[in-house]
Amino acid sequence: MKMKKYILMMSVAALFITSCSLDERSYGFYSNDNFYKSEADATSALLYAYNALTFLEYSRGIFYLGDIPTETMSPKTDEAGDVYQLENWICTNQTEQLEYYFKFCYIAINRANSVLAYIDTPSVPVEAKKRISGEAYFLRAWNYFNLMRNFGKVPIHKEAVSELSMTTAPMAEDLDEIFEMIRSDCWKAISLLSVNKEFGRADKVAAESLLAKTYLTVASAKENKAYLYSDMDVTVSEMYDSSAFYAGKVINDYKEQYDFDEDLRHIYDVNYPDGPEHIFIMPIERSGTQEGNYSKLPLMFLPSNSSIPFYIKYSDDSLQKANGNGWGVFLCNDDFVENSFSAVDRRRTELIHRNIYDASGNPIVPNQVKGYYTSKYVDPDFIGERTSARPYLIRFSDIALVYAEAAGPVEGLPVLNRIRTRAGLIPLPEGLDTDVYRREVIKERALELAFEGNRLYDLRRTASVTLTDMKASGLSEMETAFFPIPQREIDLNPNLQ
Amino acid sequence: MRRLILITLSLASFLSSAVSTSAQRSVSGTVVSGQEPVVGAFVYIQGTQSGTVTDADGHFVIAVSDGEILCVECLGYKTCKLAVEKDRMDYLVDLEVDSQMLEDVVVVGYGSMKKSDLTGSVASVKMEALQDRNSNSIEGLLQGRAAGLQVLNTSQDPGAGSIIRIRGNSSLNGSNTPLIVVDGFPLGEAGNLSQINPADIASVEILKDASAAAIYGSRGANGVILVQTKRAEKGKTTVSVKHQTTVGHFTEPLNIWRDPLLMAQISNEELVNAGLSPTYIGAYTNGVYYPSLLEIEEGKWSNTDWSKIALRTPVVNNTAASVAYSTDKVSMNLSLNYFDDQGVYIKDSFNKTNVNFNSIYHLSKAVTVQASSILSFHGRNVNNTLEYGRNPLWPVYDSNGEYFLTSETDFGHPLVTTDNVKNQTDGKDFITSLAIEAELVKGLKLRSQLNYSYLTSIQDIYYASNTSQDAYDLKGQAQMNTWSSQDILSETYLTYSGVSGRHDYSVMAGHSFDTAVARGLYTTAYGFVNDSLQNEDMSAGDPEKNYISNSYSDSRMLSFYGRANYAYDDRYLLTVTMRADGSSKFGAHSKWGYFPSAAVSWKLHNEEWMKKNRVFEEFKIRASFGVSGNQGISPYQTLNRFGTEKYWSDGKWQTAVGPGYEVGREGANDRYVIWGGISNPELKWETTSQFNIGADFTFKGNGPRITVDYYEKYTTDLLREKFLPLSSGYDKMWVNDGSILNRGFEVTVDANIVNKRDFSLSGTMIFSLNRNTVTGLGNAVSSGLNIDPATGMQYEFCGSSLDTFSATPCIYAVGYPMYSFYGYRVDGVIQKDEDPGFMSNDGKDMPGELKYVDLNGDYAIDERDRCVIGDPNPDFTASLNLSVRWKGLDASIFLNGVYGNDVIYNGYTFDPRVKVKRWTIDNPTDKYPSLNSTRSYLFSDYFIQDGSYLRIQNLSLGYTFNLRSILSSIRVFADVDNLYTFTSFDGYNPEVGVDGIYWGGYPKLIRWSLGVDINF
Repeated sequence: MKMKKYILMMSVAALFITSCSLDERSYGFYSNDNFYKSEADATSALLYAYNALTFLEYSRGIFYLGDIPTETMSPKTDEAGDVYQLENWICTNQTEQLEYYFKFCYIAINRANSVLAYIDTPSVPVEAKKRISGEAYFLRAWNYFNLMRNFGKVPIHKEAVSELSMTTAPMAEDLDEIFEMIRSDCWKAISLLSVNKEFGRADKVAAESLLAKTYLTVASAKENKAYLYSDMDVTVSEMYDSSAFYAGKVINDYKEQYDFDEDLRHIYDVNYPDGPEHIFIMPIERSGTQEGNYSKLPLMFLPSNSSIPFYIKYSDDSLQKANGNGWGVFLCNDDFVENSFSAVDRRRTELIHRNIYDASGNPIVPNQVKGYYTSKYVDPDFIGERTSARPYLIRFSDIALVYAEAAGPVEGLPVLNRIRTRAGLIPLPEGLDTDVYRREVIKERALELAFEGNRLYDLRRTASVTLTDMKASGLSEMETAFFPIPQREIDLNPNLQ
Repeated sequence: MRRLILITLSLASFLSSAVSTSAQRSVSGTVVSGQEPVVGAFVYIQGTQSGTVTDADGHFVIAVSDGEILCVECLGYKTCKLAVEKDRMDYLVDLEVDSQMLEDVVVVGYGSMKKSDLTGSVASVKMEALQDRNSNSIEGLLQGRAAGLQVLNTSQDPGAGSIIRIRGNSSLNGSNTPLIVVDGFPLGEAGNLSQINPADIASVEILKDASAAAIYGSRGANGVILVQTKRAEKGKTTVSVKHQTTVGHFTEPLNIWRDPLLMAQISNEELVNAGLSPTYIGAYTNGVYYPSLLEIEEGKWSNTDWSKIALRTPVVNNTAASVAYSTDKVSMNLSLNYFDDQGVYIKDSFNKTNVNFNSIYHLSKAVTVQASSILSFHGRNVNNTLEYGRNPLWPVYDSNGEYFLTSETDFGHPLVTTDNVKNQTDGKDFITSLAIEAELVKGLKLRSQLNYSYLTSIQDIYYASNTSQDAYDLKGQAQMNTWSSQDILSETYLTYSGVSGRHDYSVMAGHSFDTAVARGLYTTAYGFVNDSLQNEDMSAGDPEKNYISNSYSDSRMLSFYGRANYAYDDRYLLTVTMRADGSSKFGAHSKWGYFPSAAVSWKLHNEEWMKKNRVFEEFKIRASFGVSGNQGISPYQTLNRFGTEKYWSDGKWQTAVGPGYEVGREGANDRYVIWGGISNPELKWETTSQFNIGADFTFKGNGPRITVDYYEKYTTDLLREKFLPLSSGYDKMWVNDGSILNRGFEVTVDANIVNKRDFSLSGTMIFSLNRNTVTGLGNAVSSGLNIDPATGMQYEFCGSSLDTFSATPCIYAVGYPMYSFYGYRVDGVIQKDEDPGFMSNDGKDMPGELKYVDLNGDYAIDERDRCVIGDPNPDFTASLNLSVRWKGLDASIFLNGVYGNDVIYNGYTFDPRVKVKRWTIDNPTDKYPSLNSTRSYLFSDYFIQDGSYLRIQNLSLGYTFNLRSILSSIRVFADVDNLYTFTSFDGYNPEVGVDGIYWGGYPKLIRWSLGVDINF
């Protein structure tokens, strides 16, 4: 009788052993096993790739890398060491902001690669497949384009990294390899995508814009004998023509969706991210819960008023409410504001300020304003520190100026003058020499796209960094052509040693 | 060797011998133990009341009749009986020491054994010494009670637990906390076993070396604490009630501004020195009016002592009642405990109710069934962030009788916070086990135990819009979070023991299966119409601002284990253990871990040639070696894992999913994300190999027992994160890499100095020394290690970053102890016209600044001037407990000390006491820098102090009334906890966490208790 009990007990115990599996199944998170099965999955993965750009490592990097090392903008005096390094052209391969920007470009690339690796699921309808993979190609091209103009030759990841053995990618042979990759990704994107304007996402026009920018970068850099670009196996005129071709399509073919915005301030109104100027803009929204979803960009640009919101006064006496707790990190350089802009330039009078005002429009004095600040990033409906201010990634005027530059003085001048007219400037005369004309376009770009993360790349591709930015005057164009590849990449990727 | 003579007994014996009957004769004798005479031994005839007591030479004279049995009794010795022989007039009685301590049974993993048969290093804690202290859980009481056990009671919050370490820290990223096992059920990490009232605990064993702990396999590397709860004594029914009330007060005054004028002067001075305009000038700054010094001097402004508003005298009440009942067939224990713990902050409290029931049924001679259940209900109301150091100039109320606030966004008023913040956590824990034990054949026992625990908690939080910036911006913040965990563990093992001639052996083998699930649901809502509902209706908030998240983890472990004990002739002992753990948490390629151990022991005192020695009653040497593990890995950590983010698209927030997820953050305010999520199927446990050699001596004549141990504990395969190339799209992945060595020496001396019926004095002295060294941190490049330029030392920063310095002070460095401090050196304060030895472009070279040492002599102070400047690990710890009893009166004192550890006094220069002694032109001190509100401090040895202390931890006094009625005894007792601390540390309390960072808080409390313990 008792023995039976024991036997029963033992067999119950034995049951426990046999029923036990030590395999682990993921719970509560996605992995390769339970994802990439449907169109919704693929869309979600694509948004994840876009989302890499919204992290502040990337979104602030746009200005740290694109504007700080130029004559247009400087950080406040007690800003962290790495920003100071960028400002003074003494950055090293340990400069943190470079590392972060580099890293996030590749995070976006890996996410885009992952979309491309799994998109060929039968359950995704053909139309969706085209759009999703088209955007993934665009994103990959976008990030390699930025890597190229910032770091030059970089490692090339063409496939999603899913295990340790895939984490070390080969270094690009030369810039041609990267250029070819960007170009072919853009072509694929253009052929897969249609015109489909949607805030926060890219369409065919964005891909054409990117391709136009890429051609122009290569064309002018080769022409100006910029370091590494000069070795590229391309023809300058062909590059200019290709750039003009795609930029021309962008500015002429889609007037319904994309066009000039005649109202300058409207371009920078955070409540109109779908305005005609915005070809690709970061989808930031103040209702987000973490920085990246919302942005603190205005705090970077605005001066402090001891946490009491202040007002910006425009020439028509209208007031715009702004955060009062700005950090004043990004200061517009006096010399640039006062000497590069004409006094009547509306981009100077409307978008760059020196004073702050109270709700009744009276100037607040004394104040803590440390220099000129721009009102391109102001969200009057901020919630505490949360704002909808966004970096402008591809703007119609940018591509218009790309066209103006690439197409040359004959076809380009009307487009250039259209931008000048909007700014309240007199048109440039016809018959300028091509070189002189192109220099004028570059100048116009500096004014039109000021503080939008653009200036450094124009200087680099025209090999004029050291002539323009006093802080770089002791260096050669070769030394300023690219930022150093971060040390951690060199240390850990044997292909770079 | 003086002994007290039992006068009463001897008187009685003389009287009885005077009336003895005629057929008697007188015999004499001597009572000895070995060569020593035994004084005060009671000599009597069996079955009579007549007897005598030995004198100072051990002699006695007694009247006897032939054939009677002579008995000799003395405390501390075994009773000796011998027959009265005809014609023999002189008797030599050699008493054998009753080595009760050695006969004690010690609980070990999956079994128990005689203390004298232990081959491993196991420390038993004497529970009776701990019972007078009022405590939520047993762990805090263990401080200083076992060699090699480190207990840090760093928090005085109500219901707070302790930090527990056994033989040092041996993991960088995994846990360093020992496993706690209650009645055979491993409950998890030790620290706060609040479900069990310490009064219900019968014994606590600390398993330290591999031989003892390796039976717990992959969870044994940090040592194991075995807790056994009380069981009813056979044949008895007892009822007891115990109540204790404790009142606490600060050991020293709070360090806050008490003179507002001085505070204002200091504030102005530090602003002016920083080149800013002073605030106390009778003007508005940021919308707040700050009076001028003159206005303050005129006394028109208040001088509020906010500590009186925010703090209170905390009272702790602890009531317990228990019933124990036992017959031949059934025995049971029921105990109830209500514990109410007040914090120092008003409305900051913890309370719990525990019900603990266990029963044993002897179904037959061979079969026993045991069932036990623990229910615990506990609640914590958190209100511990009140600003007791708020500006004394601000009054409590304004002229309208409302709370005075400096602005709409002043969230610092303690009463506003207290009235408008809700932060309450309620928990219900249920722990039960059912066991059956059967003797299948003689010597072969089967035990099968099924354990189940279910722990739940629910947290209610509400921040009204006037209590925080977030709640203000978003109109109220409500949370409701629930969490539960469930653990089912089945254990079955067979034990066979037998004796065959001189061979004594036992073998145990078994297996267990454990499945644990934990899940949580976390909800947050913002944007309420008003604050009156708090979080009562989570859906009443702004529908756009509802946030939900949940968590789940599931792990399973299958284990097989066994142990063999063998003793030859009670002289040579051998123990071998083995455990195999297979865990779902381990990587797919490393599912099974094997953890063997072996130990030998030699009882020299049982050797023929030692038996005649006059010194040692016991002389045993032990040696052990074995391997145990530390699981460290959390579930799913070895898998590929995608992340989830939100992306604004198509006019709404959409969920975005893809490769790489956030595994951590770095940088100022944690603004930068660290990405992980790439799988490592090789990932496994950390491995600790431990060697232990020890000896136990007991001196003859009831002398002290000394236990010494030396160990080396080498941990390899440390769980670490390896950096990946930036271009991979990931930052880090988990690998097994790196090693740590702990070496140490432990001594325990237990002495029953006097042991008489009416008087006893005993003491325990414990000494522990541990040396911790990080011996490897893996590949310097892929681990992203920093290199010290002067010494080439490889290191990485670890632990908390300190805002005072915008730096992380602690490092793991190869060749140095864990948490070593790394920073600058300071050599006083720069005086007027002095060359500090360096130049600085932010004014660090000005008079009144700290004089940093330019280590590399480049006339600049930068990161290359840093070096190792401190070590938070103590050189040694020691404790002494003395207990004395005289008739019904008992008293004990407990001293605990830590020596040679460094402590970072974070915020030292912000201390009002330090500020007033600042450097000025007229006060050219070398000790305190000038005031400057915007100065950035580098982390330097200026902030490091000696954390050594000796504390009179506990003093208790009790009196027991033994009553011969229904009431069997009443004990009243008084207890003082934390009476006094001798230390040179300037902060409130040098007892800080393992990283040596002192965070301030409030002074240590002296706690005065009164209690009564009634037994029926």
